[in-house]
Amino acid sequence: MSIMQYNGGSVIAMVGKDCVAIASDLRLGNQALGISANFQKIFPVSDRIYLGLPGLATDVTTLVNMYTIKEEREIEPETFAHLVSSTLYERRFGPYFIEPVMAGLSKTPSGSFKPFIAATDLIGCLNFAKDFVVAGTASEKLFGVAEGLWEPDMEPEDLFETISQTMLNAVDRDAYSGWGVVVHVM
Amino acid sequence: MARRYDSRTTIFSPEGRLYQIEYAMEAISHAGTVLGVLAKDGVVLAAEKKVTGKLLDLSYVKEGGYGGSGEKIYLLNSNVIGGVAGLTADANSLINYARSAAQQHLLSYNEDIPVELLAQRLCDLKQGYTQYGGLRPFGVSLLYAGYDTHHQFQLYHSDPSGNYSGWKATCIGANNGTAQSLLKQEYKDDIEVKAAISLVLKTMSKTMDSTTLGSEKLEFAVLTLDPETKQPKAKIYRPDEIDALLEKEGLAKKDEDTAMKS
Amino acid sequence: METSFALTGKGYVLVAADTTSARSIVKMKIDEDKIKDLGSHLLMAYSGEPGDTVQFAEYVERNIRLFQIRNNYALRPSAAASWIRRSLAQSLRSRKPYSVNLLLGGYDVAAEEPHLYWIDYLGTSTEVPFGAHGYGSYFALSLLDRYHDPDASLEEGIATLKRCIDEVAKRLVVSPGKYKVKVVDKDGSREIEI
Repeated sequence: MSIMQYNGGSVIAMVGKDCVAIASDLRLGNQALGISANFQKIFPVSDRIYLGLPGLATDVTTLVNMYTIKEEREIEPETFAHLVSSTLYERRFGPYFIEPVMAGLSKTPSGSFKPFIAATDLIGCLNFAKDFVVAGTASEKLFGVAEGLWEPDMEPEDLFETISQTMLNAVDRDAYSGWGVVVHVM
Repeated sequence: MARRYDSRTTIFSPEGRLYQIEYAMEAISHAGTVLGVLAKDGVVLAAEKKVTGKLLDLSYVKEGGYGGSGEKIYLLNSNVIGGVAGLTADANSLINYARSAAQQHLLSYNEDIPVELLAQRLCDLKQGYTQYGGLRPFGVSLLYAGYDTHHQFQLYHSDPSGNYSGWKATCIGANNGTAQSLLKQEYKDDIEVKAAISLVLKTMSKTMDSTTLGSEKLEFAVLTLDPETKQPKAKIYRPDEIDALLEKEGLAKKDEDTAMKS
Repeated sequence: METSFALTGKGYVLVAADTTSARSIVKMKIDEDKIKDLGSHLLMAYSGEPGDTVQFAEYVERNIRLFQIRNNYALRPSAAASWIRRSLAQSLRSRKPYSVNLLLGGYDVAAEEPHLYWIDYLGTSTEVPFGAHGYGSYFALSLLDRYHDPDASLEEGIATLKRCIDEVAKRLVVSPGKYKVKVVDKDGSREIEI
């Protein structure tokens, strides 16, 4: 049993047409014993960025507040991804045991918004995927279902349906995830 | 004779005074006015801008951030707005300190810092410079307009000596005496935000050096509770919003060009 | 073996912990109080490594008291839980971590509602309607899933708590003999006899 599986929990983020979605389960466990069915793993970083943390860490959100307030502008998702990455790599030899997943809308020079998703491993290795990213105890199952259901350029309604079905069906096959799901669509 | 006690912040004069602190307060009484009024359902803050002019580049104000034009009114935390009077450079350093202190509290206790505690944090720092050798005190007074669950809406003032106090309505900077006596006459205990906004603008228009009010001379902010979430909502007005507000209150300046033409 | 439960009801939190203090297989003491009062409206049940428990509980108790003296107001339950969680999380990555599990029950005087937090020695913290630590948790949690009611009166809450205690006594080989039960509500915290 790895420390990454101790509490359980899974997160997934997906790209659609001019929209993104991020979903997580709500279980908190102690190995096989369920403790809470309302453990939020997704945190709003700004109006345009959501961060999912399967594992345990509240340390990152504070950093971001400081950024917004000091720069007098909101942080861009790409910049935020690098902030997360470097924060984790700082602890390269004694890491935080989390695999962050991010979803956001980044501003283009023309003023419109472009969907953005990213994930890192526990020491901050970034993965900028174009379709979907997954993490947590049900990640293998999430990969499988998402690979089958995801298609390019989905509208928000379709994206919501796809990410919800992916999440629900993947966590059903994982003893360490489940107990409710929450979905955010931007 | 006084010279001997002037140069050190930490040494009393024979009359028992700390000259540097008094000089700092003197510096503040020449700075742009900052005025705050506490209402039943919110707090209102207004400030007079000193650095103005047609050539000043304000393009960065237009987008992003949290509003304001960044000379006198700042967001210290999501539940506290600060208004500063005095040396701008000193103020920047204090604002940075305040924001760090607020975030540190959030990190430790997972709640917004109570307003009085934030004022205390800054006062501890300011007091240090009245006692420990060699350094100049901060030439800054601040008004803190904030909300917390312990005492709801609050308005505090802190000065360079590290003293702080809570107020229903107060004013710092130039002409603060006039403003305070005006506030004393006009303030009512059960005032609501709407009336407080009018009171603040009216008092500002009477105390400011210039006869007309406009966004190039004024900064303005209101802290209220969001009716839906019941969380504090800080609104620092953008220049165009200030002009719109002044228009509504009937205090907008007459356009000089049109006045000349007619 | 060590067991503690806590549950919320209408305007109160009930916290119970066994009173046995054991070294190896021997009971050394049977009237140990393992629930600390952290101020007027906050209770903390602690269990875990002997020595660590009392040391950490006193550390928390005094820091929370210090905060109250310095700032003239008591930390709300959520703020206290965050601070305690952080202390444990920092301790986890130190040379000798505290091995302490906690149930933190409090009444938020400002918001007028009860709160209960489940915290373990890793610094995992979550707000729960009911919680348990120790071997008793395996029996109590499923029982509370069935019988817990967040709007129950104090009498009903105590009855549910008794069910938990009886179930553990019935099914657990090494069940504790006696429990101390405390309640916290708008009037503060007090011990109750069951």
